[in-house]
Amino acid sequence: MKHHIQITSKVGLLDLDVQADFSDEIILISGENGAGKTTLLRCLAGLQQAQGQLLFNDDVWLDSCTSFVLPSKKRKVGCLWPDTALLPWLSVEKNITLGIEQVDKTWLKDLAEKMEVLPLMQRTSHMLSTGEGQRVALARAICRKPTLLLLDEPFSAQAPTLRQRLRASLKLMQIELEIPILMVSHDVEDAETLANQHWHMREGKLIKGVAAKQIKRGEG
Amino acid sequence: MLESLLISLQLAIVTTAILLVLAFPLAYVLTFKTFKGRTAVEVIVALPLVLPPTVLGYFVLVMIAPDTSLGRAWQAVFDTSLAFSFSGMVIASVLYSLPFAVQPMQQSLRAIPSSWLEMANTQGLSLRQTLKHIILPAAKGGVLVAAALSFAHTMGEFGVVLMVGGSIPGETKVASIALFEFVEMQQQSEAWLLALILLAVSFVMLSVVYTLNRHGFNMGTKS
Repeated sequence: MKHHIQITSKVGLLDLDVQADFSDEIILISGENGAGKTTLLRCLAGLQQAQGQLLFNDDVWLDSCTSFVLPSKKRKVGCLWPDTALLPWLSVEKNITLGIEQVDKTWLKDLAEKMEVLPLMQRTSHMLSTGEGQRVALARAICRKPTLLLLDEPFSAQAPTLRQRLRASLKLMQIELEIPILMVSHDVEDAETLANQHWHMREGKLIKGVAAKQIKRGEG
Repeated sequence: MLESLLISLQLAIVTTAILLVLAFPLAYVLTFKTFKGRTAVEVIVALPLVLPPTVLGYFVLVMIAPDTSLGRAWQAVFDTSLAFSFSGMVIASVLYSLPFAVQPMQQSLRAIPSSWLEMANTQGLSLRQTLKHIILPAAKGGVLVAAALSFAHTMGEFGVVLMVGGSIPGETKVASIALFEFVEMQQQSEAWLLALILLAVSFVMLSVVYTLNRHGFNMGTKS
């Protein structure tokens, strides 16, 4: 499926100006600190107060002229942020299925296996390591089958060998769900082995088609 | 003495129960909603902290007097006067202890990380689900502190309940008023005993509050 996003928005001091076409694929977003990568994802998630306009496909998600903001809960996006926001009094399983009325057990087991959290399902989340917590939060973001997945440094807390397996699992999930994934990352391996498209951001603007080696040189 | 203690206990339980139901939505709105007049509402809620209890009691008495619309409505429905009754004391106690319930709840609600509430939004949780899974578990420490403080504060009320309830034996004569009358009548041993009981109740309730505070308002994070 083809998608289109169009954002012209003022967020604090940053002028966000992003127009892009993409299909159901993994898009890696890179850029220097303050370039607007996370702000872009937060705007798409509806978590950032902004002035301007945001269109996703044919739907208006934000239009300051008419004071319209589509609430986050109606956007059906899955999100993973550096702060995983796991609820410490709930089990891993309950964290992953939070807000889902009827859980498909087969789907949940498959997801937990792919995200390598199956042995952790009955633990309470405050007993997890940072890396485990990040995988649980990633599973939670995917579990409700969103139409758009937004990931901010999804593998930053993972060991190198695990990262490779998780990249493969994420790719499988993306193909199975047929959704686009926008992923902020500074990891050259992500760019080389996972991303179908690469967007580079500078001062809130989008520059497409930067090669992976440029990320490696620190330009990404 | 036992009778007045039981009236105090009954008043404290009823007041605390009503406050828990009233104060949580109020604390929620004051913490998470922005609206015109929020500061004014916060000031009104906090007023009993600084207002002389007799002043608050006087206003309540005027408000529930038999010639007011509230007093007349009460009389018509229940065929009894609201002033100088147990129900009148409950109204006064609820108003008097309101800040002791609302403020700990507000503190615990403010301590909820914004990332949890953002997660609730992006995960599509309804308000009911957000309350059930996030806000109530996270704020339960504050709710328990609010309950303990409201109970202890009501047990020790004097000025407000004297103004609104009078001192009708078996109906509105609470323990603190009974203590005052024991002293007036030079009944030292009864006064001592009642004072020690009230001291013990306050000590226990404050111990509960301090224990809860030491474990953090967001008790859920410690479980």
